[in-house]
Amino acid sequence: MRKILVVGAGQSGLQLALGLQAKGFEITLMSNRTADEIRTGRVMSTQVMFDTALRHERDLALGFWERQAPRIEGVGVSVAAPDGSRPVDWLGRLKGYAQSVDQRVKMAGWLDVFVQRGGQLVIHGASVADLDYFSRAYDLVLVAAGKGELVSMFGRDAARSPYDAPQRALAVSYVHGLAPRPEHPETEAVRCNLVPGVGELFVMPTLTTSGRADILFWEGLPGGPLDVFQGVGDPAEHLALTLELMEKFTPWEYARAAKVELTDAGGTLAGRYAPVVRNPIGRLPGGGLVLGVADVVVANDPITGQGSNSASKCAASYLSSILMHGDKPFDEGWMKATFDKFWFTTGKPVTQWTNAMLGVPPEHVLNLIGAAGQLQPVADRFANGFDNPADFDTYFYDPEDAQDYLDEVVSSAGPSAGSGAPEAE
Amino acid sequence: MRSTAPATDRLPIRGAGRRPARVRPYSVTGGRTRFTQVLHVETFVAACDTRASEPQRPEPEDRMPEMPAIVEVCRRMRTIAEISALLKLPLGVVRVLVSDLADQGRIRVYGTGHGPGRPERALLERVLSGLRSL
Amino acid sequence: MVFAVSDPPACAQALADEPVQPWQYDRSRAPVAVKVLVAGGFGVGKTTFVSSVSEIAPLRTEAVMTQASAPTDDLSGTPDKSTTTVAMDFGRVTLADDLVLYVYGTPGQKRFWFMWDDLVRGAIGGIVLADTRRLRDCFPALDYFESCGLPYAVAVNHFEGSDAYEPEDVREALAIPPHVPVLIMDARRRDTVVESLATLVGHALDATPEP
Repeated sequence: MRKILVVGAGQSGLQLALGLQAKGFEITLMSNRTADEIRTGRVMSTQVMFDTALRHERDLALGFWERQAPRIEGVGVSVAAPDGSRPVDWLGRLKGYAQSVDQRVKMAGWLDVFVQRGGQLVIHGASVADLDYFSRAYDLVLVAAGKGELVSMFGRDAARSPYDAPQRALAVSYVHGLAPRPEHPETEAVRCNLVPGVGELFVMPTLTTSGRADILFWEGLPGGPLDVFQGVGDPAEHLALTLELMEKFTPWEYARAAKVELTDAGGTLAGRYAPVVRNPIGRLPGGGLVLGVADVVVANDPITGQGSNSASKCAASYLSSILMHGDKPFDEGWMKATFDKFWFTTGKPVTQWTNAMLGVPPEHVLNLIGAAGQLQPVADRFANGFDNPADFDTYFYDPEDAQDYLDEVVSSAGPSAGSGAPEAE
Repeated sequence: MRSTAPATDRLPIRGAGRRPARVRPYSVTGGRTRFTQVLHVETFVAACDTRASEPQRPEPEDRMPEMPAIVEVCRRMRTIAEISALLKLPLGVVRVLVSDLADQGRIRVYGTGHGPGRPERALLERVLSGLRSL
Repeated sequence: MVFAVSDPPACAQALADEPVQPWQYDRSRAPVAVKVLVAGGFGVGKTTFVSSVSEIAPLRTEAVMTQASAPTDDLSGTPDKSTTTVAMDFGRVTLADDLVLYVYGTPGQKRFWFMWDDLVRGAIGGIVLADTRRLRDCFPALDYFESCGLPYAVAVNHFEGSDAYEPEDVREALAIPPHVPVLIMDARRRDTVVESLATLVGHALDATPEP
């Protein structure tokens, strides 16, 4: 039986560990926290997972919370004007629903399942010298602990990493009591509120430890008016700041937040990190090799909400590469090919799109976002791009492609194209 | 003795108000008995085989050649950190190998003798009185 | 985190010369194990502190880590494959035949926080060891203990030839809340080390709710 060490118990590490375990591999999983510490700890992410990522979980029969978690049917975009109005405001419909399950719920649950199924769980924050030994004792060592000491083993790929500093300051609050958006009270959606020159507010439903909740997530340009959460230790103060900024920049979202309260004392998170693509193969001092997984190697800004989606897709891609490899050694050539398969299918398109969204939008992108308000197919296509970011390649980046696409939508939609009602589909 | 800190300088305690999950040292599932206890640096372990003179031999199921040495050094009560220091093994390696040895029944894990969270008052009082009588 | 002994002869010696306590051979039961962390900057006297109170020659372990490691909210993305080694010393105090205290001296810099997550699990509390000539070195340890809610006390290791300060001066300089103990001590003197430990445990007791 082949032995694999998985370091890190997040989306990608656990999905891989459980997937490999089901295929008969002998898995040791190393987590720096116990299931109970994860469950009662601080929130980690917003983790909205779109259809493809959810299907990878379903393939492994791991979608335990699918019935309870709110079904996210759309992605809305609103652009704020300085006077508090919304010159752009639309809702794109997803072909398959998305869901967010608080990682405290999911990772703690998956850890328990891994152990119940006979997996070896070792609570330990792994470091380089541990791995030096383990690269001899295991057929393969996968590093899926994206935030911590180990990532520095994987050198930064400068050609694939245009930024060397954080592009947004992040502030997350999990709340109960948020009212629905009055325009679509029956439709759960991820709401992207863009405040030009300032940042973005994302609002989305989730399933957390205390049931259904909503996440208020500010992404602020560093040094700007939203970059005020650093050092705020008190969760209540963090939420108060969040709401204050909503009142100022996105009054329509503030209007439905009159009764919100934090889900729990661990329901806030603040931080920032530089988007980076790393070399996927880590070489240990003793010569052994380890393969980096998901955000260990490709860490994008959460502005496009792709972290958990890429993690699920990476785990699924690596799982198939491992299964296809049979009994052959997991050598450097295999590691490179395994990463390349993930990179060209998922990592690269996600990175390109996310980095584009971090910059100042060029005119043709503003046109696309504006046109989506009148042309429902454009809104729908943008929304479904969250599920498959490779789709942006064909219309989003090049001004001519964007114009060709808009012309095509207008001509095929005919005279009724201006109605823009989501119900028209 | 102060009973509570003023609200202004009290920090949110992780998991405050929740009861820690019951800790089961072993889970009998997946077709095997698996050791599942958290190994703290100060967790006590000792070899199950008490025959002092017999040298430990590698077993076919040994994950790494260091496993007999761990059993050897555990002829007396040891902590995880002591094993790591005495055998010059990384702490994570000790944790994995002790977990293996516990699965195989060659090492007994005694734990720390108290729950997974912070020590309770009765224990702290014993520690304090122990320190005062040093 | 990786621990390995940096000095093999000392290790072998520790193994051979270690005074044996009766509980070490009683395999019918194990004592209760508790631990305290001692954190502070390099050269502040953590090793001396541990040595002064430990009944065994302190075990020296090393944590090998990559140099570019950075805390969670501040990933710099700077690549650096070289590794650095951090010494950690720990000692043992048998308080009763069924109760043993371990004292872990850990480096205080922010980049070692990932190690502390492991050490604070189940700990009684932490002692922040401070040197008034380099007070800044203990800021990260204070930040860490405060952020994880671990009870802590500040022990100012008084070095000969340095200016003597009152505890309240240090408290003010470090912005220590009034209920946190601050004391002046000498890490070479066992009695003051024991007093520091007792002060911390007393403070942890105050911070622990009645059952």
